[in-house]
Amino acid sequence: MSKKTEKSYFDRVHSWGRISSVTALCVLLMFPLSICLYYNVFPPINGVLQGLLKLIPTYWTVAVVEVIVYTPMLGAGGTYLSFVTGNIANLKLPCAISAMEGAKVKANSEEGEVVSTIAIATSAIVTTAVLAIGVLAFAPFLQAFTESALLKPAFAQVLPALFGALGAGYFIKHWRISFFPIIVMIIVLVFAPTMGASTLLFVGIVASVLGALLMYKKGWI
Amino acid sequence: MFNLNDPMLYVFAAVVILFVLAQSVFFLMKAWKRGKELGIDKKKLRNVVSSSALFTVPSALSVLATVIALAPALGLAIPWVRLSVIGNLMYETTAAEAAMEAMGHQGGMAVPVSDPVIYAGIAWVMSLGICFSLIILPFVAKPLNKKFMSAGKKEEKAQSDDGTKKKRGLGGFINDHATPAIFIGLIGAFIARAIIGAGKAETFGDGAGVLSIITLVVAIVASIGFELLAKKLKLTWLEPFVMPIGMIIAMIAAIVFFNVLPEDIALLEWRG
Repeated sequence: MSKKTEKSYFDRVHSWGRISSVTALCVLLMFPLSICLYYNVFPPINGVLQGLLKLIPTYWTVAVVEVIVYTPMLGAGGTYLSFVTGNIANLKLPCAISAMEGAKVKANSEEGEVVSTIAIATSAIVTTAVLAIGVLAFAPFLQAFTESALLKPAFAQVLPALFGALGAGYFIKHWRISFFPIIVMIIVLVFAPTMGASTLLFVGIVASVLGALLMYKKGWI
Repeated sequence: MFNLNDPMLYVFAAVVILFVLAQSVFFLMKAWKRGKELGIDKKKLRNVVSSSALFTVPSALSVLATVIALAPALGLAIPWVRLSVIGNLMYETTAAEAAMEAMGHQGGMAVPVSDPVIYAGIAWVMSLGICFSLIILPFVAKPLNKKFMSAGKKEEKAQSDDGTKKKRGLGGFINDHATPAIFIGLIGAFIARAIIGAGKAETFGDGAGVLSIITLVVAIVASIGFELLAKKLKLTWLEPFVMPIGMIIAMIAAIVFFNVLPEDIALLEWRG
């Protein structure tokens, strides 16, 4: 395959991604606008700004960090899809990692790009379908299902289940670089037990990359 | 009287959801086509789809649970849109609470919003609060992505030109170790939280405790067990499904242990 073809594929993905991101932003904002126009009501700007002031310092900072941290891992197509469909750290990224592991491809290869995009697109479609079916077809029974005493422990433990399953194979394969970041994060959590997921992720990723880089420079990995 | 279940709200929501679906299908088709051009086996691509779907279902159900948790106050339309576009399991409840408080909604999450002005305000706050990544993404995704891809390739080329693998430059690190290191940082953060993280004192299941450790251990043991089984019996079709199966078994274990263990042990969370 020629370099030109490869380049043009990535360029095309970025063009589609840019268009779809801007369109998604417009579509997302059309939702509250449609509500305003349909009911002919316009909320006080002060109230909206007050609400935004509570969210923006955290959420917009997290957005910058997430874009920088996740983009290299998700690949081009996966990045645009993930940031539109959300639930990245708890669903899209683990799904992409799992798929790339299963297919035995590297994240920074074109095969990795393809596999990651297919995995994330599938995940987005399945999530959308589950939510749509749940909301539209089972609305009357939904609460009973998701809040049933029987299933509640499973929903409460979805993250340990997900990351335990994902981590098992990964830690065995990369055990040398796994100890340092986990020890760092446990120490961090001992002193700051309520640290938000995004901050902890950032600390974990920085510790992990620096630890691995040091080991690489020393020739240990 | 304002109705949280007004069919028009569902229509507005459905338009947004259809866009998301169309975008996902578009990228899936393009990547599939590219995969075939690159000579990736069709069976491998199909496995990616089926294992990813299986991997997603349990998490999607927990996302659905968040939609339901927000429904008493907001109905289903806003949570449905928010959790389908950019939304996040962890952020949306906080965002809804902040928006309701700012718009003067009394009674919090348990009381239905009955004023369309407040409802519209909440929709604006929740939508604008989360949209920043879509604003910056068109500007930074391409340079970031290209830098990451090219760093590894430069190093590969340098090494093949030299005919040696002794160089330990940044490009080689990025090519071989940066992605695993980043993934381990991400996975490790959630594992550390399951071991020693704290949640809200009044909420069950959000902090580290007996049940989070049991779930974690079962997930790890089940995944390793199935991986070994697949390798030993040469069941290649099983390999892509090892992680989703491990996850589902761990969630079933959470249910079983919750019901079998004495209540004070099952509910124990050491840091709240």
